[in-house]
Amino acid sequence: MDASSAAALDVPWLLAALEPAGPYGQIAFDDLRPFVRGEEDAARARARRVAELAASLDAGTLDAVRETLRGMPDAAPAIARASMGDTLGDANLLELQRFCDAAARTATLLAGADVPEATNDAVRETARALEPGRSGKFGFYLADDFDARLAAARTATSRAQAEFDAASGRSRQRVAQALGREEISGGEFVVMRADLSGSLPPGVRVAREAATYVMCELELDEATLAAMRRRDEAAEAVAEAEEAARAALSGEIRARASALERAARALGEIDVLVAAARFAKRYGCSAADIENDAMLSFTQGRHLPLAAELEREGRAFTPVDVALHDVAALTGPNMGGKSVCLRTCGFIALCAAFGLPVPAEGARVSLFDEIAWLGIGSDASPDGELGGLLSSFAREVVRLRDVLERAPARTLALVDEFARTTTPREGKALVVSLVAELQRRGAVGLVATHLGGVAAEAGVRHFAVRGLRDVPARRPRESMHETLAALADTMDYTVVEVGPGDEPPGDAIALAALLGLDESLIARARESLKGA
Amino acid sequence: MRVGADLLSAARATGSRSVIFVGTGKNVGKTVAMRSVYEAACERDIACGLASIGRDGEAADVAGAHAKPRLFLRPGTVVATARDVLPRSPASEVIAFSNLPTAAGALIYARVVHPAFYELVGPPTASGMREAIDALKSFAELVLVDGAVDRVAALAGGDDAVVVSCGAAAAGTMQEAVDDVRALARRLSVQAVDPERPLVHVPGAFTASAASAAIARGERRQIVVRDPTQIALSGKAFLSASERLDLRCERPLRVAGVTVASIGRDRGFEPRAFARAVAAATSLPVYDVYASERTVA
Repeated sequence: MDASSAAALDVPWLLAALEPAGPYGQIAFDDLRPFVRGEEDAARARARRVAELAASLDAGTLDAVRETLRGMPDAAPAIARASMGDTLGDANLLELQRFCDAAARTATLLAGADVPEATNDAVRETARALEPGRSGKFGFYLADDFDARLAAARTATSRAQAEFDAASGRSRQRVAQALGREEISGGEFVVMRADLSGSLPPGVRVAREAATYVMCELELDEATLAAMRRRDEAAEAVAEAEEAARAALSGEIRARASALERAARALGEIDVLVAAARFAKRYGCSAADIENDAMLSFTQGRHLPLAAELEREGRAFTPVDVALHDVAALTGPNMGGKSVCLRTCGFIALCAAFGLPVPAEGARVSLFDEIAWLGIGSDASPDGELGGLLSSFAREVVRLRDVLERAPARTLALVDEFARTTTPREGKALVVSLVAELQRRGAVGLVATHLGGVAAEAGVRHFAVRGLRDVPARRPRESMHETLAALADTMDYTVVEVGPGDEPPGDAIALAALLGLDESLIARARESLKGA
Repeated sequence: MRVGADLLSAARATGSRSVIFVGTGKNVGKTVAMRSVYEAACERDIACGLASIGRDGEAADVAGAHAKPRLFLRPGTVVATARDVLPRSPASEVIAFSNLPTAAGALIYARVVHPAFYELVGPPTASGMREAIDALKSFAELVLVDGAVDRVAALAGGDDAVVVSCGAAAAGTMQEAVDDVRALARRLSVQAVDPERPLVHVPGAFTASAASAAIARGERRQIVVRDPTQIALSGKAFLSASERLDLRCERPLRVAGVTVASIGRDRGFEPRAFARAVAAATSLPVYDVYASERTVA
């Protein structure tokens, strides 16, 4: 599928709806590729697995799994560093602990579900190894329990620190008293000469002098310096003991690195599966039968992006039935849903290709080499080096040329009013010829057009949107939203197969009137039509 | 006189749970002032959370390779700092991760378990800083933030108390230092709008060109910005505009006091004269952490 077709078929919407929650899910999601011909069994199996997951788990559980995976830090860099022989820091160890917690919680939430194992022996053993570091609800601290040397070294440091604090505090207090102050704060302090009776007290070093003040520093006495040395030596012993504890933990991680990475990959797959199940549950999707023969057939199919948009406006999407084994023409009135029908075909084929349940009551779909959208919407952006030099017709033709040149063996071609911007006579000739070419290539496709007689001339089946049951009258001061709602109520969006010569009645002038075009203009158009 | 305790009381009297220390320039004593408040809070067993806009607590000034005041932190203190500068030993309790980037890795939150020197590296954006302050409030009773040079944007949207630091290191003369701190303190102290009087709202920043235009048209109404950080005028430009215009804000800040560092590396001012001049210029209590003195105009 090229970028233009992807945009026309709302692939970004689908990707957003399937987005996983956590870092591993994102990696797995980025690696996701559509199933290709020959992988029908795998595509079918995955769609069924997702559908069963959606059926067996309630929405709250699916959301809880996503929440767990969303809050899980990416421990992959820590595992990689440990496997290279690095000694991990405490932040890395907390990441690993949270990783193990998330894996365990995911396994609990999904107990009995058909998903990869969220946890394994390595995860459980790592969790046990890190457990002494659990601090408070969420924290990690390299606790004394990790290594017997830690407690002793820390006790010694605390004692040495207290001795140093006491010694330096005494010096500080002595100087403060001598200067008549409540405290000496910090390492440097200013003494005003006006406040000084005599010389500076012992233990004070002059850093700078001026006419009215002296900038001083506390000078540590021998006892304080000795206490500081003992404190620093004790702190070094703590640092060594802490590094030894971290090295031991890192060694355990290193020994289990590949199994931990496997668990991370499994969590990624689970994340993607849960996102798909949530999608299937939310939109009422069902697993399609993936057929070996080229075909696209579904009942009550929905184009989800439009259905969601209509739902926001309090309106409902009218599902459509389509059965295609080769190329067919589709006709119908303006605003009757031809384009939506094409998009629904593409969307359902796309879901099936990714092993997802499809938004239809039932569906039989084959895996296509390419899903190509041609016509309206595919010519929106100027093409490559020629940019705006190409007309909309020329851009359509260039895109069609490119699609045909790629010549994939099995294409789903969705053609929306191709050649609508040229003369009807030549346009029709091009469309008929295109239909014949697609037929010749064995494509499955639906060609929507307003040009009459295409199906008959090309010798293909003809589908039509039933169209307006009645043209509603436009009421004064009616908003466009109200008009569209009234129109939707009157429009029969059902797609039915009709005879090759059954052209639908034209509703264009009635619709133009409903949409508020000047009445005299409408009257002249009706007159003109009578005379034609 | 216990300057730290006094400044802590002044900051707490504003009712805010966070105090940001901003300065008129580099090496004007922001970190020293914050440290004195921190130590006073520790003495009162107030659990503190510490953060920095930029980088503080490192042994040397990165820009000038001069010695910097270090932050020796006590058990129970929570820091918001970059992952790569968290001391490896003694071990801290790592309590939360964030996605906020800093110059030295993502910001994390850690609780001090054993007393040690810490370096604080904060997020570079005002919104990131606000997020860090809010997170620290969930771990600590009082949050202290070492601000960067005149980086008042981080004050936007908060209800922090503000301590303004000034000193000899950031000005050529005492008068220049006094003018700078007067402008900054007055800007941060812009009063709340009076809804009963005519006013004009300024969406976004109130710039020098907007000020010139208002003065030129003889604007008499209150000119109202969201908060004082939206006034994009500094130094003499602000003082000049504030004398001619009635500048107001919707969300006033709470300036608790000014600290002075009268002795810089290259020059020094007579400490008491400097403190008196700053007090007179700002009408705020002035604290000299080095001389252990408080001066009121």
